[in-house]
Amino acid sequence: MADVTFLDVRRLQAEADAADVALAMDEDAFRAFYDRTAGALWGYLSRTSGDRQVADDLLQESYYRLLKATVPFESEAHRRNYLYRIATNLVRDAKRGPRPLFDAGVEMSDMPAPESRVDAEGRADVRRAFGRLKPRERALLWLAYAHGSSHTEIADVLGVKTGSIKLLLFRARRKLAATLQPKVKA
Amino acid sequence: MTSEHHGYEPKPTDAEIEAIVVEAIAAEAALARAEAAPPSSAIVWWRAQMRARQEAARAADRPISIVHGFAIACAAGLALSLIGSAIAGVRGSSGWLVDVYRSFSTTAAPLASIASIDLTSRWVTLPITAMLISGLVATVAVYFIFADE
Repeated sequence: MADVTFLDVRRLQAEADAADVALAMDEDAFRAFYDRTAGALWGYLSRTSGDRQVADDLLQESYYRLLKATVPFESEAHRRNYLYRIATNLVRDAKRGPRPLFDAGVEMSDMPAPESRVDAEGRADVRRAFGRLKPRERALLWLAYAHGSSHTEIADVLGVKTGSIKLLLFRARRKLAATLQPKVKA
Repeated sequence: MTSEHHGYEPKPTDAEIEAIVVEAIAAEAALARAEAAPPSSAIVWWRAQMRARQEAARAADRPISIVHGFAIACAAGLALSLIGSAIAGVRGSSGWLVDVYRSFSTTAAPLASIASIDLTSRWVTLPITAMLISGLVATVAVYFIFADE
């Protein structure tokens, strides 16, 4: 989490209290939910968009749209899936913009210092390979293997039929593996 | 004899492919977790509140803008009708002035030339209309400047 002083938080709280606007959650519930989900969502956004700046912007936008949503959430999982669906749509819309995402893709200077040059090269290869996938394929793979989401959850987030997830995952896996290891045919 | 002896490598199985992908994404996910520095929940909440407030204010302003537009359209219509009346009035008064002058003097030729000006000519109506519209626009601009303050 970014550094914020206690005084900043008090000032922000006082100003927020003054604002008389209706949002879908109260502050405590929102902050608890945010703390549970923000890190993972940022990872999802940064890897599916391929751009950290975009991920920062879309993170704020995703939570704002969630707060403005009038959907009655049945459970925490439902709310989280809805949040990821918003994020997925935002990434898809961002891809239509002029800014290239995943272009030569790797911000090596921004990365934490890798253990070795081999590690750094390996990670660069993974990112480059990930960057060659379509946004939906990236989202599929990330949800399945980084989050361990079920096919039903993935289908809910991506807005596709549950029955098609298996095939889509199979294709996305082969495509990523083919880029990582040329002996694998996509 | 194994496949290596024939000079080609066997194609990876689906399980091997899945293992490659799982390993790659797990490493990337670990890196993403380490990199993740989302803003604090207090800041995100505050920004959301501020934005919702601005949007609410904008939504409330929208009917006022519509009323402003309607008022400007009404003012423009009124101004155009006044221009028409003014032109007719000027034509009538210039003729009346000529008649008055003629009653006092038989040498009314110079004033008669004023009455002979064709007010329907575009060389006359265009400058008059431009001046009146400029005045109207200036009035509306002054109104908005002071309305903002």
